[in-house]
Amino acid sequence: MDATILLVEDDPSIREVTAIGLRNAGFTVETASDGREGLERFRAAPFDLVLLDVMLPRLDGLEVCREIRRTSTVPIVMLTARADTIDVVVGLEAGADDYVRKPFEVPELVARLRAALRRAGRRPDDAERLHLGALTIDVAGRTVERDGREIPLTRTEFDLLAELTRHAGQVLTRDVLLDRIWGYDYLGDSRLVDVAIQRLRAKVERDPSAPELILTVRGAGYKAAR
Amino acid sequence: MRSVRTRLTITLVALVAITAAVLGIGAYAFVDARIHDQVRDDAADQARFDLAVLAPGRWVPDPTEADLIRFTETFKARDVETIVVEGGADPFVSRTDLFGALETFSADFRARVAAGELAYEWTRIAGSPALVIGGRMAPVGPEIYFVHDTADVERTLEVLRIALAAGALGLVVVALLAARAVARGVLAPVEAAGRAAERIEAGDLSARVPVGSSDEFGAWAERFNRMAETLEHNISRLRESQAHNRRFVADVSHELRTPLTALVAEASILRDHLDALPPPSRRAGELLVADVGRLRSMVDELMEVSRFDAGAEQAALQSVDLGRLVEAVVAGRLPAARLELPERPLIVESDPRRVERILANLLDNANEHAPGSAVDVRLTSAGDVASLAVEDRGPGVDPERIGRIFERFFKADPSRHGGSSGLGLAIAAEHAALLGGRLTAANRAGGGLRIVLELPVTGSLPGGDPTAIGGADRGMRSNPPQEPVP
Repeated sequence: MDATILLVEDDPSIREVTAIGLRNAGFTVETASDGREGLERFRAAPFDLVLLDVMLPRLDGLEVCREIRRTSTVPIVMLTARADTIDVVVGLEAGADDYVRKPFEVPELVARLRAALRRAGRRPDDAERLHLGALTIDVAGRTVERDGREIPLTRTEFDLLAELTRHAGQVLTRDVLLDRIWGYDYLGDSRLVDVAIQRLRAKVERDPSAPELILTVRGAGYKAAR
Repeated sequence: MRSVRTRLTITLVALVAITAAVLGIGAYAFVDARIHDQVRDDAADQARFDLAVLAPGRWVPDPTEADLIRFTETFKARDVETIVVEGGADPFVSRTDLFGALETFSADFRARVAAGELAYEWTRIAGSPALVIGGRMAPVGPEIYFVHDTADVERTLEVLRIALAAGALGLVVVALLAARAVARGVLAPVEAAGRAAERIEAGDLSARVPVGSSDEFGAWAERFNRMAETLEHNISRLRESQAHNRRFVADVSHELRTPLTALVAEASILRDHLDALPPPSRRAGELLVADVGRLRSMVDELMEVSRFDAGAEQAALQSVDLGRLVEAVVAGRLPAARLELPERPLIVESDPRRVERILANLLDNANEHAPGSAVDVRLTSAGDVASLAVEDRGPGVDPERIGRIFERFFKADPSRHGGSSGLGLAIAAEHAALLGGRLTAANRAGGGLRIVLELPVTGSLPGGDPTAIGGADRGMRSNPPQEPVP
């Protein structure tokens, strides 16, 4: 795999060893040591994935994440020092697709990045068009429209919506969603699913507090309305 | 406090009431006696004079009715009615309502008058109080009874009685008010101290007693305040140092995290290339990788403990298939363990990451203290409690110290310096408490340690009930309402 990764990390040792590990795994790696530099590099050249530390000098990792999300659906993986709910949730809410806790072992990191890249590189099988309520989902074009107006979604949100819609009326557990969308085995962090569902609802539901399209099935998971 | 106030009030009021009654009754009795004596003495003097001087001058022997009327007119002019008894004839009365009065007088009185003595009697005639003085006109004239109307005197005495009673009642009321005021004044510092003590008990160490006087209470209040101040000072110092310690642990583990992250990543790369190292450094490389792993788990546990201390931990509840989770954790941590699961899926509302953490710590503990021994993991449910037991066949724990097994840095064998931080079980217990469950430890009968995690099964659901649809996302809430399952 010859993907190009932008690594933004302020600690020189972590930056260097991570870069070595990723290069060993076959990635092309560019590094930045603070948030502003990271953003500049991202704007200067295309990347297949951004690996972003949360705590960064000059420009916070979350800010960088939000900035990138304004213009791009590139997969973003956050490096969080703390596994607190708050850090993880805030990172995901800022638009990150996944997170990796520090400290991490390089093979574990590589596996997570590959999963994220795989999802990003997934080619739709056909010119599938899905419908959910008033939503029209163009799987090939990766766009969602309601009443002729496009709703911007991140890659993860889009995949989640498409997966639920394909199985409309059928309950998908958090584990199944983790597996199919994030590429995790059982015992991944189901908060990923919950936060992504919340963000998705905020964008596609008319009233996110009373969802009509994406329903919670208590004790089981989620399903799209049929 | 209330009873003291009541007792004080009752005592004071009773004292005043008794004093007022004694004084009032005494004064009344004295005045009453004096006035009656005075009236009697005056009447007696008058009667003596009348009998000796006035009557003989006006008396006509064998008087006719007209003579008697004239005779009695003399006394009537001075508002004194008379009854005249002469020989066996009917008594003559100066006023018609005196008819029959003679018979109401006591026999002793009548006898003494008949014997020529001057005598008196207090009586009532025609419903009105009267003083009767009786005597015989010298030497053997008629008996004359002088009747003095004493209604005025009695009325005066009655007014005096009412005045005294009203005065006494007033005194009692004043005493009552005074007693309450005094009681409140006396008890106020006691009540203030009670309130302050209550606040201190509730944790407000800044509570003080107002020092309002320079008496014993004031001195006592000052001592109380000094005590409270010392207490506050000591406790705040204790808290500070405790908070400082916690912050220190949190800071240290946080500061350690950055180099540790680098170390872990480096060791993971090194591990893949150990074979490429020349033999002398290969062993060192292996040890390095292993020690980095140890260091990592220690720092992780310290971080975890400091998060618990900071109260930063919250359970993220969702429905968890316990059997599936236990199976996965055992397969990942200790595949050699024997596993016993219930036939039906056991699904609870809980935080799967924490359940996983607890079980992982229990398995690590078994693995460390009974290396190579058989480990049994048994999941059962009874009523609304799910029990997850982990049993090893190791040496167990000294029965005297087993109660402390969930304390931080507890070591079953103090002489051993094993790889663990000694925090694993303490952390597991904290997680269990956060999930509303608990951990218990006991030595197995056949040797070895048995640790049981009990979790509440409240809100358990039949596996994936598709009819129960809730609008809100429950996964992120730490305390979801427990709704009945349809």
